[in-house]
Amino acid sequence: MSSSPIPYAEQPEWADVVPLPQYESIDPLAPILYTNEYKDATDYLRGIVKVGEKSQRVLKLTEHVIRLNPAHYSAWQYRCETLLAIKAPLDVELKLMDEIAIKHMKTYQVWHHRRLLMTHLLRSTETDKGLQTSSRSPAQIATSELTLIARTLAEDSKNYHTWSYRQWLLAFFSDDSLWERELDFVDSMLNLDVRNNSAWHHRFFVVFQNGVREGEEDRDRILRRELIYVKQNISLAPNNASAWNYVRGILDFNKLPYSTLAPFVQPYTVSHPDTLDDLVDLENPPPSRGAQLPCPAAIEFLADVYEREGGDSVLKATELWKTLGNEHDTIRKRYWEFRVKEGLRTIQAQS
Amino acid sequence: MQPFSFYSYPYDYTTSTGYSYPYSYSDSMDEDFNLPPLARIGHAGHVKRCLSGLPDSQTDLDSSRLAVAFYCIGSLDLLGLIPDKIAQGDLDLWREWIWEQYVSGPNGAGFRPSPFMTPLPASSQNPSSSSDPSSDPGYEYANTPHIIMTYTALLTLSILQDDFSRLDKAGLVRLLRACQRADGSFGTVPPGSGSTSAPGSVTETESDLRTLYCAFVISSLLDCWDGVDVDRAVRYVKGCRTYEGGYGISTGYEAQGGTTYIALASIYLAPSSSSSPSNSYRLTPTEKSQTISWLVRMQHSEGGFCGRTNKSPDACYCFWCGASLKILDADHLVDTRALLSFVADCQFKYGGIAKAPGETPDPYHTYLSLAALSIYSPRPPSPPPSAPSQPVSSSPSTTLTTSSISASASISAPQPSHCHPPVDANKASWMLEPLDPLINARKGTARWARERLKLSTG
Ligand SMILES: [Zn+2]
Repeated sequence: MSSSPIPYAEQPEWADVVPLPQYESIDPLAPILYTNEYKDATDYLRGIVKVGEKSQRVLKLTEHVIRLNPAHYSAWQYRCETLLAIKAPLDVELKLMDEIAIKHMKTYQVWHHRRLLMTHLLRSTETDKGLQTSSRSPAQIATSELTLIARTLAEDSKNYHTWSYRQWLLAFFSDDSLWERELDFVDSMLNLDVRNNSAWHHRFFVVFQNGVREGEEDRDRILRRELIYVKQNISLAPNNASAWNYVRGILDFNKLPYSTLAPFVQPYTVSHPDTLDDLVDLENPPPSRGAQLPCPAAIEFLADVYEREGGDSVLKATELWKTLGNEHDTIRKRYWEFRVKEGLRTIQAQS
Repeated sequence: MQPFSFYSYPYDYTTSTGYSYPYSYSDSMDEDFNLPPLARIGHAGHVKRCLSGLPDSQTDLDSSRLAVAFYCIGSLDLLGLIPDKIAQGDLDLWREWIWEQYVSGPNGAGFRPSPFMTPLPASSQNPSSSSDPSSDPGYEYANTPHIIMTYTALLTLSILQDDFSRLDKAGLVRLLRACQRADGSFGTVPPGSGSTSAPGSVTETESDLRTLYCAFVISSLLDCWDGVDVDRAVRYVKGCRTYEGGYGISTGYEAQGGTTYIALASIYLAPSSSSSPSNSYRLTPTEKSQTISWLVRMQHSEGGFCGRTNKSPDACYCFWCGASLKILDADHLVDTRALLSFVADCQFKYGGIAKAPGETPDPYHTYLSLAALSIYSPRPPSPPPSAPSQPVSSSPSTTLTTSSISASASISAPQPSHCHPPVDANKASWMLEPLDPLINARKGTARWARERLKLSTG
């Protein structure tokens, strides 16, 4: 597509199509100064759509339009209808779309198209017509999708559409063998960037939000595993909002009191914790040497522990909130003052 | 919520404001305001340039031009320039172009994004074709209403003070009904549009929270919810909530500022019914404090808001997160001074507001930044009850036209007539009229929309 393409009018195989220029009023709002190539391709697209042709050459034409404008939802829709109408081999389509997906990963339509193809592939294998569209099993197809997603995330590790597609795909195929390797995948993403919130979210999605898979029936063991995992990560990089949100998330989800983590959190709330020794304590890993302390998220967590204890402890919580507002997290001064006010109101109501 | 950016033309507009009005205010930012002015003239110039044309690098906006028009015309509205500072002829032309996108068919009435699939009329192409054009397979493609575009069209027409006499309001209700899916979400266009696709077919268009929100706003403006299964829709919204306390764009996805706004606004727009009072849809106290906590933590120490945990600040999230906090009555928890300072840094020197300092501006970030300012900017004190509710500037000004904007045009901030101690010019430039945070329009515009769009039954 790099060299200037031959206009459709000069290509004999398009001679029978009447191109239809776009209508536009005399005083349009936000008109786009289209390139001649885009005008030419969309003139032929309108011509094709008008007569309802579904054929091999329509795939070439819609691909052309999509490459020039990946957000052209009508071109995508017409392409999808054409693929199904002419029973095109969908493996070929997926392969072609791999390159477009990586190039235009920020375009919603790219991923929506893949969802439609997956839906069709699974439906047709279920009805034994799958051989027409793909020679692979659903698990094989899904596995190669996961590989493509990993390649895309290697380019942009927080791409929202791509992560969403991964979550959709796992839930859609719902095959234990696919889920098995997800935690390793999350691990590899967090090794690259421990602050990648999309990876943390994905971990929560995999562990807690999609039922209990084989080998994970012992929920207490899973919960312990997750707590150790997130504590280790906090120990290496304490100032990581994603990890703290994950801790809160798993405690809330499993209805565990925050106080169970108080011994772990406490050393992170002071400038010079006295537990900085080399003893390896899996349950309560200390802050790594050189960590920036105190950690505001830890102070916030400890304050929540005190607040939930009620009684006299609420006052301790308000003291911590004051240090956040005045010293450690001043951008949220108004918020912490609000928490102090609410806390004092609780104390008054109790007395 | 896909952000987009525009190429900017290096016209040299002055950013000096020349305000010296006897302004008054009461706000905690009194002591040292110390910000550069909001470059109103430059921002108006940016969106007007985009209205008059976009370069070919913006071809991916071909299928959402109505949304671009909304961000541009909405910016002019927030800046207080419509209708007085725009030539009447321009306002009429803008209105006409939007009505040209109005389409109506078996699945209801609404607006398409642009004529991007519309061929020149057959007469000039092929005189022999005389049959009913709607029997063409291509007709549906060119004439299918799109819910998100319909939402932006209704707001833009309200800004332009249209009387909506051409609108089939019952048709809007039919469109919504046709677009809602079994899971409660909404497709952007009715199933079966295009050609062969039928409800539930694999070629359905996308459906997610964005479209649901637009359907809720449309129903709220019509004051008629017959097109929506509210229970089912709210259940869908609640399913998008994540362990962080925000909402993702669909079930199971990561919490994000834009989708959190859309989820909260939808929940708070939902009507009460006999079976389920609307407050039963609302957040529980625990959910509410968790969401507020997540939202305030999105404010970065640089002052701007981030869209997701551990991401960089981006001007559009000053609106998405800022308006979310407003909906939850927690706007007083924002560090307003830092927020304004971030937006000040995102101003592009030739006009327009970018997503971050040093980036190129676009109408989307310009509009959303101004909308955030309409919630968080310093405010003049409420006028005494007898004063007009909408202060209109009366300074001498040059009318702006589509093709050009005079650098000497004086665009003034709202100017209360009663006497108070003077406000410095910089600060006055930041004062904008208040916004309706649920439907994302200036309050005056929202009022116009509700009055004119109300579907009278019986
Ligand atoms: Zn943005």
